[in-house]
Amino acid sequence: SIDMLMSSEKEEDPDVIPEDSSLLTLRIRKKNLERREETIIVDRACRQETLTYEMESHATGKRPDNPTDLIEEGELLLTLNIFYPVIFQKHKDHKPYQTVLVLGSQKLTELRDSISCVSDLQIGGEFSSQPDQAPEHISKDLYKSAFFYFEGIFYNDKRYPECRDLSRTIIEWSESHDRGYENLQSVKMEDYVFNDLSLKIGFPYLYCHQGNCEHIIMITDIRLIHHDDCLDRNLYPLLIKKHWLCTRKCFVCKMYTARWVTNRDSLAPQDPCFFCDVCFRMLHYDAEGNKLGEFLAYPYVDPGIFN
Amino acid sequence: MGTVPGLKEDCEELLGAFQQADTVRFERFAELWRERRFHTVFYGRMRALERNKLTKKTLELAQQYFFPPYSFQIRVGALYLLYGLYNAQLCQPKQKIRIALKDWPEIQKFRQDLLDSQHYDAAYIFRRLQLARAFHFTAMPKLLTYRTKKKIEENYFKEEFKDPSNRVNSLITNDVLEELMNIHDHYQKMKCVISADKSQPDKALSLIKDDFVVNLKDITLEHQEWQKNKMKLFQNAKETGETENKKKEKALLESEGSERANALARIKYRSYSAVVEASKSRRHRQVQLESSEAGSSCGKSPSRSKKSSRRPQPARRRSEMQVAKETVTWHIGMPVITEENSDE
Repeated sequence: SIDMLMSSEKEEDPDVIPEDSSLLTLRIRKKNLERREETIIVDRACRQETLTYEMESHATGKRPDNPTDLIEEGELLLTLNIFYPVIFQKHKDHKPYQTVLVLGSQKLTELRDSISCVSDLQIGGEFSSQPDQAPEHISKDLYKSAFFYFEGIFYNDKRYPECRDLSRTIIEWSESHDRGYENLQSVKMEDYVFNDLSLKIGFPYLYCHQGNCEHIIMITDIRLIHHDDCLDRNLYPLLIKKHWLCTRKCFVCKMYTARWVTNRDSLAPQDPCFFCDVCFRMLHYDAEGNKLGEFLAYPYVDPGIFN
Repeated sequence: MGTVPGLKEDCEELLGAFQQADTVRFERFAELWRERRFHTVFYGRMRALERNKLTKKTLELAQQYFFPPYSFQIRVGALYLLYGLYNAQLCQPKQKIRIALKDWPEIQKFRQDLLDSQHYDAAYIFRRLQLARAFHFTAMPKLLTYRTKKKIEENYFKEEFKDPSNRVNSLITNDVLEELMNIHDHYQKMKCVISADKSQPDKALSLIKDDFVVNLKDITLEHQEWQKNKMKLFQNAKETGETENKKKEKALLESEGSERANALARIKYRSYSAVVEASKSRRHRQVQLESSEAGSSCGKSPSRSKKSSRRPQPARRRSEMQVAKETVTWHIGMPVITEENSDE
C-alpha cells in the first residue's frame, strides 16, 4: 500500500510530459524536447549510441549455466579504465579508454589477457617480396612479457619462459641514484589476485607490454557485487565500454579497412599509402605474383580493428 | 555530463515544503509528492542510454540530502524522496543508490535514531529499500568520470536545510565544562593545601578569576540565545513560514538532552551558590541569581545599531540548555562585548 501512494493511478504514457507540470525539471525538459523535434529530422540512435548502450547492459543479470561459476555474495567488483596508447591530436582533452569490470578474486593475469591492444597484433618486418608470408608471427606471440605497476610494486608476467622482467630496468634505474622513490619491488603477476592489492581510486597506474607499449590504468569504482549484475564468473573481466576509433580505409576502394601500408611506393600517390589486401595485390603484383615497381610494404593493423 | 537542469530546484522545493510541514510522517510526504506529481520527473521521450544516465544523476542528487550536515527532518525527507524516486524510475533494471563505506556507520546511527524515537514509518521505508536491493555498496560516494569540466561546480548547501552548526557548543560541551569545574576545584584545593591557612588559599596564589568556569558557561549560553534570536529576526524579516520550533525534533532530542540538562543543572547549582560581587565599573553586568526559565527569550539584540540604546542591560535569563540545532551560519555581526569605559 505504500507503493500505491507513489505511482499514478491512471494510465500514463511516460514519454509524454504533462502540460501543466509544477516541476521545473519537466518544463525545461519539454522545451529541450520541442527544440530537438524542430531541428532533428530523424531522431534515432546512431551506431555509437547503440554500441555504448549494448556494451553497458549486455551482461546485466546473466547467470551461468554451471552453478560453480556463480559469483558469491561479498565479491568485490572493480571498474577499471584502461587508456589507449594511441595518440591523436583530437584526443588531447579526452583520451579514449575502455572500461573493464573485474572481480576481486580474479588474478592479474586474467586482466592482462583480456586487454586487447593493437600493438599486440603488429607484425614486424618488410614483406614486399613475400606478401603471402606476412601474418606469421604477431607480436603477441613473440613478446610475451608484460607488467602491471600498482603502488610501488611491479607485477611481472612470468608464465612463459620467454617472459622477461621488463621492470628490472626501471628498478635498477631508481636504485642507481637516490631519486626519491622508495623500494620498488618486482613480483610475479600470476601469484596475485586483485583482493591482495591495496589500491587508490582515481590514481593512475601502469600496464606495460611489448616492451614499450604503455597503458594507463585507473580504478574508478570498487563496490560489492549486486543481485542485478552479471553473475557468471567466466564472463569476467567484462568489457563494458570501449572507444570507437575510425578505421583507415583502403585508398583505392575506400571500403575495406587497410591491411597494408607502403612506403616509397612508385605506384602509389602518397607516402605512406594504405591498401586493403585485395587492392594491394592487384596493384603491386602481376598475375604470377611478381613484384611490380619499387616499394616497401608492411602489414598494417588499424587501431580501430576492435570496433 | 553535468547536472539535470531544474532538478535541484524541484527537490529543494519539495524538501522545503516537507520541512515547513514540520512532521516526519510519511503520509504527509506522500501528500506533498502527489500534489506535485513528482513521479513524472522521469517522463519525457528519451532512449534507454539517456534515461539510465538521467536516473543515475537524479538519485545521486537526492542522495546528497540524506547525509549530515542536513538537519534530521531533511534527512528523513531525503529518505522518502529516495524511496519515491527509486520506485518511480522507468529504467529496467533499476538504477541503484550508491552508499559509500564511510557513510555506512552514519546511516546505521540514523536508523537507530529513527527506531529510538519511534519513527517506525521511516524505518520501515528504509527496510523496504534494503529488501528491494536498492543499494550499491561502494568505496567512494561518487562514481569517477573523466571529462574536463568547463567550470568547477560548487556544491551550495541550501542554508535553511542545513543543520545549523554550533561550533561554540561543540567546543564547550558539558563534558568540557565538568572537567574544567573539576580541575578548578582540584586546583583550589591544592592551593589550600600548600597555603598557611588550610581553609582558603593564600592571597598571593590567586592568579586566576575564581568564577572563570561559570563565566565561560554563561557566555556560551548567551551565544546560544543570541543565535536563536538572530535566527528568529532573520526569519521574521524573510517572512517565510519556516518553523523553527521543530517540535518533533525537540521531542526526539529531549530524551537525549535530559541527561545533559541534568548535568548542566548540577554545574549551574554549584556555580550559582557563589555569586561574586562585581566591581563598581562592572556593576551593570552584575550577575543576578535568577531561576532558570524554559524557553524564555530575552530579546537581546546584539546588532550594532542598537548598541547606543542599550543602557541598562536586562538581566540575562537562563534558558534550558536546548541541544543546539538552531544556529545558522550566516555572516552576521557577533555580539560585541562592550568594554567598561566605552559603554556610555
